[in-house]
Amino acid sequence: MKKISALLIMLMMLVSISSLAVADEDGENQENNDMDVKTEKEIEIMNNSLGAEIRLLQLQKALLKNILKGEMAVQVLIGLGFNTTENNTTELESILTEMKELLEEVKTANTSSNESVQIFVSLKNQSKNLTTQFRETIKEMLDDVSLQEIRQRIKEMLSNELENYSKRIRNLIRQFNYNQLYRLYGIVGEANSSFVNDYFNGTLPLNETKLQLCKIINQMTKDKKYEIFSEIKSENIRRQIHAYDYLEHMGDKGNGKGNGRGEH
Amino acid sequence: MNKKIISLLFLLILMVSITATYVYFSQKDSGETQYDNSDKTVNDADVANEIDDMFLEEDDEVEIGDIV
Repeated sequence: MKKISALLIMLMMLVSISSLAVADEDGENQENNDMDVKTEKEIEIMNNSLGAEIRLLQLQKALLKNILKGEMAVQVLIGLGFNTTENNTTELESILTEMKELLEEVKTANTSSNESVQIFVSLKNQSKNLTTQFRETIKEMLDDVSLQEIRQRIKEMLSNELENYSKRIRNLIRQFNYNQLYRLYGIVGEANSSFVNDYFNGTLPLNETKLQLCKIINQMTKDKKYEIFSEIKSENIRRQIHAYDYLEHMGDKGNGKGNGRGEH
Repeated sequence: MNKKIISLLFLLILMVSITATYVYFSQKDSGETQYDNSDKTVNDADVANEIDDMFLEEDDEVEIGDIV
């Protein structure tokens, strides 16, 4: 009888351990999964060179922002006395050098290449990896209070170069949305496209333009509205499937979910 | 002794049920919006959502994480 009880207790322990394992695995996968979902969303627009150009420019901007902030953090550290043989910023500076090299690589990436998605995912993973490396290294050098101070000091960073990137990206996104509006008007079959030009000229904000389009569609007959909705929906699904397939395909090759420079 | 075994069995069943329920409810949905199109009606919000999906916000960014 005692054996049966012992067996039952062991079974209960096994069940508890397995449920804990399931919960732990879920937590670990959550962060990676979130990143994959974001990347998947980002590559959805990369089926043409304009979309690829937008994503690669955005990556350049993100990298440049981190390089500038990293350089400011290094200056603050030197000011705090991190310039001795034992305590110095050599490791941080070498990460920044790698980031600068990577930025040059992103700048020269070919946006019209068939491999632009793969290049983007790989360069983005390397950027994330170097950023994490820098963050972890500086974390080991300073306490939480000093880190908070540095974060505050670099928060209000201003850069003309960054501002230029923002302008270029905004213009390209406007061009992308303009193309999408034209396609949408084609689906709707509406001849009056003054909204499209107003949006492109900057006289009508995107939200307002979308609202006007929704109004036009919602005023149509039930069947026509359903037809248009189905077409838009299928186009969105096609784009999502394409992006998902691409990431899966890259994952099979060992590039999609990798995070390191060595995998390149 | 029999009572002990029965209570242990009961506890085991309870734990299995809890595990099964946890696994069932913690499974993520596909993230895809489901529509009821049986009578070919589409509500205005669904149309707006699909239209939103076609465009990029002008302040959209690629995220690589904070450096500090």
